[in-house]
Amino acid sequence: MNSPVLDRLIRWFHQLGSPPTFDRFAARWAPWAYVLGLLTMAVGLYGALFQVPADYQQGDSFRILYIHVPSAWMSMAIFALMAFYAAIGLVWRIKLCEILAMSCAPIGAAFTLITLATGSIWGKPMWGTWWEWDPRLTTELILLFLYLGVMGLYAAIDDRRNAARAAGFLAIVGVALLPVIRWSVVWWNSLHQGQTIRMFGESSMDASMLAPLAWMVVGTHLWFVGSLLTRARADNLVRESGKDWVARLVEARR
Amino acid sequence: MSYREYVIAAYAVFVVVLLWDFAAPRLQVRAALRAARLRVSRIATREPPAELRR
Amino acid sequence: MMRRAAGALVTRDLRLLWTRRGDAFQPALFALLMVMLFALALGGDAKALAPVASAVLWLAVLLAGLLSLDSMFRGDAEDGSLEQWMLAPVPLWWLVLVRTLVHWASTALPVILAVPMLGELLHLPRAQLPVLMVSLMLGTPILSLLGAVVAALTIGMRRAGVLVALLALPLYVPVLVFGAGAVAASAQGLDAVGALLLLGAGLVLALVLAPLAAAAALRIAHN
Repeated sequence: MNSPVLDRLIRWFHQLGSPPTFDRFAARWAPWAYVLGLLTMAVGLYGALFQVPADYQQGDSFRILYIHVPSAWMSMAIFALMAFYAAIGLVWRIKLCEILAMSCAPIGAAFTLITLATGSIWGKPMWGTWWEWDPRLTTELILLFLYLGVMGLYAAIDDRRNAARAAGFLAIVGVALLPVIRWSVVWWNSLHQGQTIRMFGESSMDASMLAPLAWMVVGTHLWFVGSLLTRARADNLVRESGKDWVARLVEARR
Repeated sequence: MSYREYVIAAYAVFVVVLLWDFAAPRLQVRAALRAARLRVSRIATREPPAELRR
Repeated sequence: MMRRAAGALVTRDLRLLWTRRGDAFQPALFALLMVMLFALALGGDAKALAPVASAVLWLAVLLAGLLSLDSMFRGDAEDGSLEQWMLAPVPLWWLVLVRTLVHWASTALPVILAVPMLGELLHLPRAQLPVLMVSLMLGTPILSLLGAVVAALTIGMRRAGVLVALLALPLYVPVLVFGAGAVAASAQGLDAVGALLLLGAGLVLALVLAPLAAAAALRIAHN
């Protein structure tokens, strides 16, 4: 069946794999993603800070949820996306997918770091300490190590394609093992703790309190797109540094 | 208990990390373009290779 | 002459480190991983972690330093710089000393700076932190100096791995005993000064003797 739309879509997808085309695409759309992301997050943060009433149990510290939860979701989603890109890159040897997978890692690590730090800061007035070894934070810490492992492996191998393949394979192994790790930590926690209830915003939320969260989720996703495009563009330029189109690009920019 | 310092600290972490996430790739792109520019100028000022003599 | 050589070596090492600056975090990350593994093995409860926190931290710093011993001389051995060292007009032990101190500053010091944060993860009692930090600042240079001797001995070997650990750890025992012991003593209300002074004396001895031993070991291993 002939579908002109589908044909155009497939052709666009293939053209995007060409390094100079991707460079133009990323340079053009990254600013939009950043700006839209910033605006959406601004709306969300304004709502989180000034519109939502303080929680009767946790007071104002509850507002940290609007940063902690979207970052936690991003840390997981980016890891899955990174493994997805890596799998496509490994199976079909598509350079762009390798680049995208490796560009996901630092952004995912950043969101994981935010999740851990805000979780610790949120927990201090709740638990009295900066850290508790509960399943969610422990799994998040392990996730940070997985991200750093992918980044470290990619940086350690000189040949960029081999490095991306090795690090991509590590990401896939990580994604496969992550549920096992999470389940093991939950089991471990039930064995040893079972005491204080972890107050991490599981209290049922009113609809009006959900809106800033939705804005933040959308905003962080848009920001991620902008960051991903820029990082991929940088990696693309580095890999293609000797090529003709890069030389023409910098001459045209003079 | 005043939660204000904690909220400020958490939001500050968010802003700082995202600022780094914004700045780092921009610097990488700029460094890559500068390296390419230097390479182009190096090649342009290169002596043309001598002809092979048979 | 010796000062100029030291300056040149330090500059070179720092420049090389800057090109691989991401690697500087690896020992600290290893220490964090060790802390996590201990916490998981002990059950994660503050009551179980707090009494052993200072000991676990000492072990984490010690093992992180052990793993980074490989990078002390290997790069220079592989690209021939080590031969330049041996032919240099300055004493070999001087270059070894400078290299060891730079290595300590780039591998052990970041971990030590992370110790307060790692202590929070293990619910380390705040009162123990000052003695812990002092014992680490005195003890880890000794570990680096002793480690330099072992690294120099194993420089020719390709798969030195566990062998380095087997050689170095027995030498590390006195440092661990007095270092972790100082903190344990202060936790029990005893005076830690005695143990810390012994560490200081050990550091002075190591600063004088270890570079000589490592230089001799380099010549042995290289020929």
